[in-house]
Amino acid sequence: MHKLEALPALRPSASVRPLKDDKLRAPSPLTRIVLSGLVLGYLGLVLLGPLSALLVEIAEIGFGVALSKLVDTTALLALKNSILLLLITMVVNGVVGALGGIVLVRHRFPGRALVSALCDLPLAVSPVMIGLSFLLLIGKGGVLSPLLEAINIKLVFTFWGLVLGTLFVTLPYSIREVSYVLEELGTDEEEAATTLGASPWQTFWKVTLPNIRIALGYGVLMAMARSLGEFGAVLVLGGSISGQTQTATTFIHDSIEERNLDAAYGMSLLLAVFSSGLLFILERLKKRQAKTQKRAHGPSKQTA
Amino acid sequence: MRAIPRALLPLFFVPFLLLSTACQKSSDSSRASEGASTNGKATLVLGAYSVPREAYGKHIIPAFRAKWEKEKGQKLEVSESYMASGAQARAIVGGFEADVASLSLDPDIQKIQDAGLISHDWRKQPHDGIVTQSVVVIGVRKGNPKGISDWADLAKPGVSVLTPNVKTSGGAMWNVLAVYGAILRSEPSEGAEARAEELLAKILANVKIMDSSGRESFLNFERGVGDAIITYENEILVLPEAKRPDIVVPKSTLLIENPVARVDAYTKKHNSEEIAQGFIDFLFSPEAQKAFASQGLRPVDEAVFSEVRSKFAPVENLFTVRDLGGWDHLKKTVFADGGVYDKALAKGRSAGKGS
Amino acid sequence: MKPVGFALLPGPGELWVRRGIVSYIGLLVLVPFSVLVFVAFQDGLGAFWERITSDVALSAVGLTLWTGLLVGVLNAFFGTLTAWVLFRYPLPLKPLVSAVVDLPLSIPTLVAGVMLSILYGPASLLGQKFSALGIDIIFAKPGIILALLLVTLPFVVRAVEPVLEEVDPAEEEAAVVLGASPWRAFRTVYFPAIYPAVISGSLRSLGRAMGEFGSIVIVAGNIPQETLTAPVYIFGEIESGHPATAASVGSLLLFIALALHGIARIAEKRVGGRHAQA
Repeated sequence: MHKLEALPALRPSASVRPLKDDKLRAPSPLTRIVLSGLVLGYLGLVLLGPLSALLVEIAEIGFGVALSKLVDTTALLALKNSILLLLITMVVNGVVGALGGIVLVRHRFPGRALVSALCDLPLAVSPVMIGLSFLLLIGKGGVLSPLLEAINIKLVFTFWGLVLGTLFVTLPYSIREVSYVLEELGTDEEEAATTLGASPWQTFWKVTLPNIRIALGYGVLMAMARSLGEFGAVLVLGGSISGQTQTATTFIHDSIEERNLDAAYGMSLLLAVFSSGLLFILERLKKRQAKTQKRAHGPSKQTA
Repeated sequence: MRAIPRALLPLFFVPFLLLSTACQKSSDSSRASEGASTNGKATLVLGAYSVPREAYGKHIIPAFRAKWEKEKGQKLEVSESYMASGAQARAIVGGFEADVASLSLDPDIQKIQDAGLISHDWRKQPHDGIVTQSVVVIGVRKGNPKGISDWADLAKPGVSVLTPNVKTSGGAMWNVLAVYGAILRSEPSEGAEARAEELLAKILANVKIMDSSGRESFLNFERGVGDAIITYENEILVLPEAKRPDIVVPKSTLLIENPVARVDAYTKKHNSEEIAQGFIDFLFSPEAQKAFASQGLRPVDEAVFSEVRSKFAPVENLFTVRDLGGWDHLKKTVFADGGVYDKALAKGRSAGKGS
Repeated sequence: MKPVGFALLPGPGELWVRRGIVSYIGLLVLVPFSVLVFVAFQDGLGAFWERITSDVALSAVGLTLWTGLLVGVLNAFFGTLTAWVLFRYPLPLKPLVSAVVDLPLSIPTLVAGVMLSILYGPASLLGQKFSALGIDIIFAKPGIILALLLVTLPFVVRAVEPVLEEVDPAEEEAAVVLGASPWRAFRTVYFPAIYPAVISGSLRSLGRAMGEFGSIVIVAGNIPQETLTAPVYIFGEIESGHPATAASVGSLLLFIALALHGIARIAEKRVGGRHAQA
């Protein structure tokens, strides 16, 4: 360790960013160019290229023209549905993420591994299967349909079907993020607080919650972005009934089918702006999370 | 106590928003189930296949709404859903509460009837419950560069053909039956079945994309995919002339008949029987039939058809599903698992591999 | 061991919270899938086996699996590379690039398919150039791969980034001081730290790729035994009134997804192990 302390290049609580000027560690410019080029090329091929192609198409029509097509009852109702789903996602996943993360990480109970697996499942499952499963359950002739009919509740092809589908696909995000952070943090701080006499509620509110705040926000934002983009599940469960169960995404689909490309592009543009906004906030949170972690745990980290 | 981040403040408004939405939605649905009787507002839910979108959306529904308002003094709200015919049928069976089902082919309405949702004999309506017609044609690029003149030309190597997936699209079934039926009915009648299957196999080998609906298939063709598309005549006619691909009408082709029916289970629930029947009656009226014609669909009303006859190409040998033995027979022989279609598809694949 | 739940409401409250959470997850996820599996096996094991081993089903599942695996591997490589470049090279537009990486999360899969068709479709400039060379992109397997790469882009990058940030720079400096080349330094310092994250990220992207539907339906062509993937096949079976077949193949995919989750969990445990040691 002495050797390292003697070196002028070391600064104990430096940011993780490598020292640019240090000749000892600066990557050769060639490597830098090649690697950066590879990455940008890949991103261009897979994502940026297609995205630009779409933007160029929209630009040809005119951004203003495309957006003006959305000033139409059907479009606005579809947008309203998407926004409502967004808000419901935010609230439900906020609560479930925080509580669920705690339950999964800190409680021990039979079936914990199964519940954890269930949380990951929505990520790997096709929206078609989601639709099918729910239809088999609550659709006409489904397992629960006698019960539902008895209490006169209809879920499929209504807004609540959309809610079910959206909550399903957004389940993993906030729970995962909170779980990661809780696993890393351990229970030291809570134990300290309890030893010092804090009640469980105080501990939760003043110690746990602030610690998971950023991860929770991060997870909830991802869930919200996901809910905006969901298509397959809401199509199958909602039926895209104009004015009732159409969402922004199924509106895009229907508009393409109706050859109303302007409206389709307009709505795509709007969704893109919305989700870019969400992602921007996400980026800021990422930075804050990195900073908090540095502060909380100091520079000494895992050894390889 | 650490201040709650300002970003969370909007959360407090959300419960109120949700509550008001929930109240509104439940009053909406109860209004729907009470039907025409309350609030002076009537509702009608239409579940249709994708092809007549424009006809319904731009012409017929606004006209019917105006008519209803004038005659009954009630505002009419119409909800429309357009999907591939089979998907729509499944949705209605699965719980989508459409008052009126307007689908591409008889078997799809039959599905709804088999589920117990239609209790009257819908085939006893005027024109056997068929509200529009069309014919199966071949769409080609302007100038017909590949020289397609009949079904057999679609089997030529190097011709890329579009037709949708029979599992999800009513249109695909019409297309398959048009090809199959044309050869079946051709001379000599001996060995016609084998020839029909053979041609179908060769054509299917030339299909590279199977979209889930006729409309999606056609949209792809418009985007420049494929050399020829097997489609309904009206899909082409609905486009402005400048944008239309050229139409090739085969010598022998199938008459497409699109049925419509009231879905009793839901009209009873919504108390909308009168509106639904009124709507269906309106579909057979000259006004609606003219609207269908303007969108390229062949009207069933003879008077209207003679007016617009010039729009539609005559067909030498027009046959119907009945001429081929009826839907039940065809479902068993052609479209069942391992039936003619599956065999042709498999044959086409292996032929494609060998070449 | 007493549940370490003092983070929640006092006493019995904790238990109820747990019950609430477990019920929510159970009702939302477990119940519908149980119904799916039930319907799949309703007619017995033999019928299930027959349905999943039909020619079309087998090829669809096979196609889904190998394209998913390929995409997983590609993501492992390019995802790590991207995370490394973002971490290491202060590109001027870094926040933008970083946000772009997260974009696939919120793009409707339908729009992703449309985007790809516009750029690489047969009607486009690029598409035609490639067709001239005899390569079909859209409506052929390359199109499927591209669509899958697009929607799974963030997974490995997001998994690896935080791990890179956590590695103590002092270790790398030590390695370099002791004479290691940059590549060797990477190999011995960073690589062991990130490879569990790479694996778990790749597995996640494989899972996601296996379930992808919206974009595939547009770019793939959907020809049985050629370009028909499992989710599109399941959709077709639902539409044509064969829910039992759809449920059977769906259950198969479900079991595979569960197995993948198990493997991912094991990989994650290894990261946790490191933390415990430090």
